[in-house]
Amino acid sequence: MSTITLPAAARARAAAGWLRATPFALFWLLIAAILLVPIALFLAVAVSPRLFQQGPQWFTLSSFQAAFQDQMLQGIADTLMIGAVTAVASAVIGFAVAWVVQRTNVFGRRLWSGSMFALLLVPSYLIALGWERLLEPMGVLDLLHVPDSFARSLLFGPVGVMAVLTVKGIPFAYLAISAGLRGLGEEFEAAVRVHGGGRRAVTRTVAALLAPAIWSSLAIVFAESISDFGVASTLANDAHFPVATFELYNAVDNFPVQFPVAAAVGWILLAMAGLALYAQHRALRGRSYRVLGGRTRPARRRELSASGRIGAFSGMSLLLLLCLGVPTFGAISASLMQGLGTLEGGSGFSLDNYRRALTSPALYQPLQYSALLATITATVTVLLGLVVARLLTSKRGQTSARMLDLLLLAAVALPGIVFAAGYIFTYNLPQVNDLGIHLYETTTLLTLAYIATALPPASRVLFGSVGQVQESLREAARVHGSTAPGSWLRVMLPLLARPLLAAWSLTFGGTLLELPVSQLLYPPSDPTVSVGIENALSKYDYSGGTAMEVLAVLAALAVIGLVWGIFQLVAPAGWRRLGRTL
Amino acid sequence: MNSWNRRPALGAALAGALALGALAGCSSSSNGNSSSVSGNSGAATLVVYSSQGYDSAVTKAFSKATGIPVSLDDDSTGPLLAKVGAERNNPQWGLLWVDGDTAFAELDKEGQLLDYNPGVALTAAGTKLVPADHSYSPVSTTAVPALVYNAARVSAVPTSWQDLLGAQYKGKVGMNDPSQSGPTFPLIAGLMNELGGESGGVAAGEKFLTELKANGLQVHPTNGDTLHALETGQIDYGLIQSSAAAGEVATAKKSANYDPKVVYLGTTTLLPGVIGIDKGASAKVQQEAEKFVQYVLSPAGQAVMQHGDPTGDSLYWPIVPGIDPVTAIGAMPTAYQRIDPTYWGPQETAVNTWFDQNIK
Repeated sequence: MSTITLPAAARARAAAGWLRATPFALFWLLIAAILLVPIALFLAVAVSPRLFQQGPQWFTLSSFQAAFQDQMLQGIADTLMIGAVTAVASAVIGFAVAWVVQRTNVFGRRLWSGSMFALLLVPSYLIALGWERLLEPMGVLDLLHVPDSFARSLLFGPVGVMAVLTVKGIPFAYLAISAGLRGLGEEFEAAVRVHGGGRRAVTRTVAALLAPAIWSSLAIVFAESISDFGVASTLANDAHFPVATFELYNAVDNFPVQFPVAAAVGWILLAMAGLALYAQHRALRGRSYRVLGGRTRPARRRELSASGRIGAFSGMSLLLLLCLGVPTFGAISASLMQGLGTLEGGSGFSLDNYRRALTSPALYQPLQYSALLATITATVTVLLGLVVARLLTSKRGQTSARMLDLLLLAAVALPGIVFAAGYIFTYNLPQVNDLGIHLYETTTLLTLAYIATALPPASRVLFGSVGQVQESLREAARVHGSTAPGSWLRVMLPLLARPLLAAWSLTFGGTLLELPVSQLLYPPSDPTVSVGIENALSKYDYSGGTAMEVLAVLAALAVIGLVWGIFQLVAPAGWRRLGRTL
Repeated sequence: MNSWNRRPALGAALAGALALGALAGCSSSSNGNSSSVSGNSGAATLVVYSSQGYDSAVTKAFSKATGIPVSLDDDSTGPLLAKVGAERNNPQWGLLWVDGDTAFAELDKEGQLLDYNPGVALTAAGTKLVPADHSYSPVSTTAVPALVYNAARVSAVPTSWQDLLGAQYKGKVGMNDPSQSGPTFPLIAGLMNELGGESGGVAAGEKFLTELKANGLQVHPTNGDTLHALETGQIDYGLIQSSAAAGEVATAKKSANYDPKVVYLGTTTLLPGVIGIDKGASAKVQQEAEKFVQYVLSPAGQAVMQHGDPTGDSLYWPIVPGIDPVTAIGAMPTAYQRIDPTYWGPQETAVNTWFDQNIK
């Protein structure tokens, strides 16, 4: 009897083991395919250019010598400073905005939270353009006889670089911190007050409990800032403010392209990202932040006095004016008002550029294509991001979690153009083609690269919320007979629905207008909308290009608005209520 | 227990690898590489990497005229050349078409270009641009620099580089940054070639640019930014590519304050539109690429180029005899030079770095 049943039991156990392990094995395989291998192969070029016919040597350190020429040390110091300042400034502002929107009765709360998404979608090109239009010599402020020479000297210098990067970092910080703040009930604040703590003590306690979300935002903004390519090549370059990415920019933008030097700079950026991760690890080590449980009660909004409401409203308006108003002005001056601020003379308001953009196949076909890819990317990324956030916050598998975290931050710290070059190195290898894998210049590879690019910020946004959910909730559901997927759907999904939607919106908007990866990896004859816009701008059609950009941003906002609208209409009341303040 | 866990994980990873392989297999049909063969005609798809504003119109017209399917990767020169560099061990392009011949000289040195002589008679300027080994084919030309100036604000018109050092031009001249603007390295190389020649190297050019900086030279990122500086009165003279200057004159709204005009300084440097064919492509694709070059140099191809981007890249000077340039570009300057791309091309990184550190 036993000779018959034991093998069957063993087979059943094996089958169950396969079933359990397959999803994780697939997950790690996908991570290796979209992150580990492309990044590793790109970085390998720094020491072995011959691998990809980028030089004659199988092993050399000469690319590091080339990277460390002249101003590089200064560039590294500047880059570290930029990363640190923008990360802290973005976290402080993001925290303040999240607090005001979620914990006070300030006027226009939905407007402020919606504008964070709008800010996320505004390309840094428009932010810089708006400020330049205002402050340039003979610019709009000059024409209005407003003294602006001091502000101009600030803009075209380190302050301007850090300000633009901070503006880009604020929505990341806001999303990460507000997700954490939603899950944090009022009981901890009440406990501090009961024990005689003042406002400062409450803030300190809340900030400590939100540490995972705050560190998450610090790390992501730091990595985004040090790898920034656009501001490095424009404002920083014009201001003679050397940053590490500029060396990289020179290596890939001049011909012959020097990928080994770019890879050497990549190692340096990676080391900086490692520093950020180490700081995060040190700060959070050995502590638990699981505050969202069955007894969590929604926090009440603080009733501000009339002057407090006016003050908070004015502060938020000023912030939005600086962050969104100025780029909007840049877009208007470039796309709506022909000749604004020029010697040609303002010819008034004209929708010609929008008419041209709307009737041009160069806009609407790429826009449809990009919207489809952004939808697929956002959906897949959110699912993967959830797994990543679970792995990162799990108490088990600390080493693999740390490796995954480093890998994700490496993906952020490497500028998009070199990340895309890593994809070409990997998927254009003749040996890979010989295996029957022909992914290069296909929509599939572009989508995989989008997912790889979007996964770090999406999982960072989810990290704070997932880290708050107490395991006991799921365990209770399992004890009461729920299956593993069932307990996820009934317990976790309602708790995480809003953060998931926020991560989806972030990914959709970011992917729709993504440029550097699209430029190198889009399938010939199927340009994305960002490539179309870039082509218009590079061919001196600034008005048409900017009109296309504005339309693409509006399209992204419309889709995100629609998705949130559907959520409000369709989602069960409990899902909508969870994570909200009373 | 551990061994049970590992084995399923390994097996699942293999299953995953197979799944990814299957996904890759599904994608292979859409891979438009230079050797893919189109179903009905038996013609291979020609993959064209191009930064020309009229390339979409030309590739469509070419496909219509010949039945050869074309897959177009239309992008700025910088990203295209980065892509070509990254693909070095397995090129996917069949034909590369961008402005400037320095990149082609480098690709030729690396053995990536097919020698091909289209056997089409060219103008004197065109003939001058053809390399001795026919490793690439010039099909049009523009020039650097064209000096665009605001005639409504200034009356002094320079005729040579040296004039720009005069007091009346102090703080009024602008140019592009060679690190960000593709046509600007050839502009600087042309200046260096004119002042020092290959024997004198970069020294005379560097000295001149240093003096120009001392006279208030302003550096803006690209043609568009320099033109914006001219439109806003930050500068009165801009040194840019001829097609951009002609486009500004053709499209700008003229007023009492703004009236852009163009002159050429002394000896102008030719900046050809160039086509190169991938030496590693299949014989079929190479044949199609040769047909493409023939088409572009034909009257029909030139007509499409001249209408494909009316206020941008169509503003070039034809190098095929008997074809007039479009009206907006005006006559080609009579004093021009061709810089040797095999000498000046390798200097690009050093010159741009020097410019970055000393002139910007």
